[in-house]
Amino acid sequence: MSTSSALAQKRSLRNFLGRIKGVVLIFLAAIYLYSLANNLEAFSPPGQLGPAFWPKVSLLLLMAGCLIKVAELWREGNQKIVLEEKAPSLPPVNVSRLIIMICLVIFSVIGMDFLGFLLANFLFLVFFMSITGVKKKVSLLLISLFGTILLLYLFVKIVYLPLPRGQGIFNDLTIYFYRLLHLI
Amino acid sequence: MTGQLELLWTGLINTFDPLNFAMILIGLMIGVLAGALPGITMLNAIVLVLPFTYLMGIVPSLLLMIGIYCGGVFGGSITGILFNIPGDPMNVPTTWEGYKLNKKGFVSKALGMAIMTSALGGFFSALIMTLASPPFAKIALSFSTCEYFSVVFLGLASVVVIGTRSLGSALISLSIGIFLGTIGMDDIYGIPRFAFGSRIMETGINFITVLIGLFAIGEVLDQLSLQGKESGEPSTRLRPKTELPRFGEIWALRSTILRGLGVGVIIGAIPGAGATVASFVSYGVEKQFSKHPEKFGTGCWEGLVASETAINGSTGGAMIPLLTLGIPGSGATAVMLGAFLLHGVQPGPLLFTKTPESVYTIFVGMLICNLIMILTGLFTARFFSELMRVPENILGAFIITFCLIGAFALRNDMADVWFMAIFGILGYFMRRYGLPIPPLILGVILGPLAESYFLTTMIGEANNIWVFFRRPVSASLLILSLAIFIWPLMSSFWEKRK
Repeated sequence: MSTSSALAQKRSLRNFLGRIKGVVLIFLAAIYLYSLANNLEAFSPPGQLGPAFWPKVSLLLLMAGCLIKVAELWREGNQKIVLEEKAPSLPPVNVSRLIIMICLVIFSVIGMDFLGFLLANFLFLVFFMSITGVKKKVSLLLISLFGTILLLYLFVKIVYLPLPRGQGIFNDLTIYFYRLLHLI
Repeated sequence: MTGQLELLWTGLINTFDPLNFAMILIGLMIGVLAGALPGITMLNAIVLVLPFTYLMGIVPSLLLMIGIYCGGVFGGSITGILFNIPGDPMNVPTTWEGYKLNKKGFVSKALGMAIMTSALGGFFSALIMTLASPPFAKIALSFSTCEYFSVVFLGLASVVVIGTRSLGSALISLSIGIFLGTIGMDDIYGIPRFAFGSRIMETGINFITVLIGLFAIGEVLDQLSLQGKESGEPSTRLRPKTELPRFGEIWALRSTILRGLGVGVIIGAIPGAGATVASFVSYGVEKQFSKHPEKFGTGCWEGLVASETAINGSTGGAMIPLLTLGIPGSGATAVMLGAFLLHGVQPGPLLFTKTPESVYTIFVGMLICNLIMILTGLFTARFFSELMRVPENILGAFIITFCLIGAFALRNDMADVWFMAIFGILGYFMRRYGLPIPPLILGVILGPLAESYFLTTMIGEANNIWVFFRRPVSASLLILSLAIFIWPLMSSFWEKRK
């Protein structure tokens, strides 16, 4: 009985340590940034609080928040031992799809700069919709193509927003398509 | 009084200016659609149109956002009533009753009652806003930086406590927001802070990129990463209809409507509280007043009406601190504050003396907006039922594209797009790990204001912190802030002792 209780306590301690990982990381980041804020003290005019004061206040508040959060998690953990802990009710996530979606968002930002908005957005739409479940290839291509063209007309032609055209050959390619679509 | 009537008349004429009127109509339609569409909230829609407001003046921009705000809070009830899926947390009480009414066969009437009582709540709260804001602004004119700091402090304190379950999480989120607001060139001393030698960081993080990223991108990633979202199927094939209630039916619920309106306006005016708190409090108050509290949760008209009136009632309330003090009362008004600042206008009491015509156009626009909402709701019912058939994954992809363009449009700079993407990913993890997003947003917006008011006061008063407690308004606000902060800690301590 006592062995199982000790095991449960050990498990709950491990669980608690796992849950505070993120908070500890934020706390350490706050300490590092606080030390950087100390360097700003040199710019304070005599008799004034100076530019370091407010960031330091926010970072102290952040550290206090972390300590309160740890206390809350500790209390929550203790209550759960008493109440026979139930599994957290977060809906399950498709991790691989999430990682690909995040990569696609990052790709679209890099792509906007390098390939230009036209090409990067078309590719982003194709891959994003395909990874999130649009099965029909024809619809996928048509929605991506006409969606991109519609956005270009809206933002380049009507709003005069100079969306990135890409670099090197991709810049030439974008200009070619812009001419083809009578955007310039 | 005559001057006020003249301004109201000018406001009425300005509201019917084709551009302004079109913005109200477009805003209402976008709002109702956004509220009804799964995965998009009213706040997402307001954030998404923000970059477009660059092209307009401040009045049409605000009217567009007000339209979305009023339409969006109603739109969220539709999915609640039809499918038991509240569009927003504020629509949860509506869902409790509305879905049960739907199951009882009153779906059309429940939709009609929701739109009518939303419109009534919104209209009368806009009327209260019109009457209460000018005298409130006159009082606010006598405020110094000392009082302004205390008001901002109250806003920051309330956002930590109200509407979040964990004080620690809210405090972490808020202080991260305040810290992000300090990055870049310091306004008072002209020193770059935490720029790490980067030119982009020296200009500071544009709070619009934080808003767009955290709300829109984070939401899309959160929705589409869930298991079972890979089918690409539309969320529904139903076509909702609306049937407006008769005058007698509304009259029979007049006390409920009045109570809901009162709760909505008061809670809406408290910085940080917003429509969600108003909706739940109003539902609870109505249950206390009801002769049949046991009927709540089984499909009760009073519960539906109380929640709906309070939700839209909070819209006018939330506009009072925004317009008179420059303090947002909710997430939506925080974005509207962003629109003001984008146009180089600082909302506050001076707005009433410098550009009263604009303020009164916003007042009248909001009144008209709530009236038109009834017609728009009926008219768009058929249209949005079609859009509800668009699969979430296609919508999600286009939302991300709009965000990328919106971030780029801020300064035609890819750095903003990078910031937005980073905050989008951060927004996903914040959602996933239960860190509330609104405190971070308000920290980014209110933090720099608080710093500026605090340091200006300190420079003028030779670092004497007691000046905040010597002035009665400032002292009362600070004591109220401390009480708001200490209350949850004390109540949890008492509960533990019991």
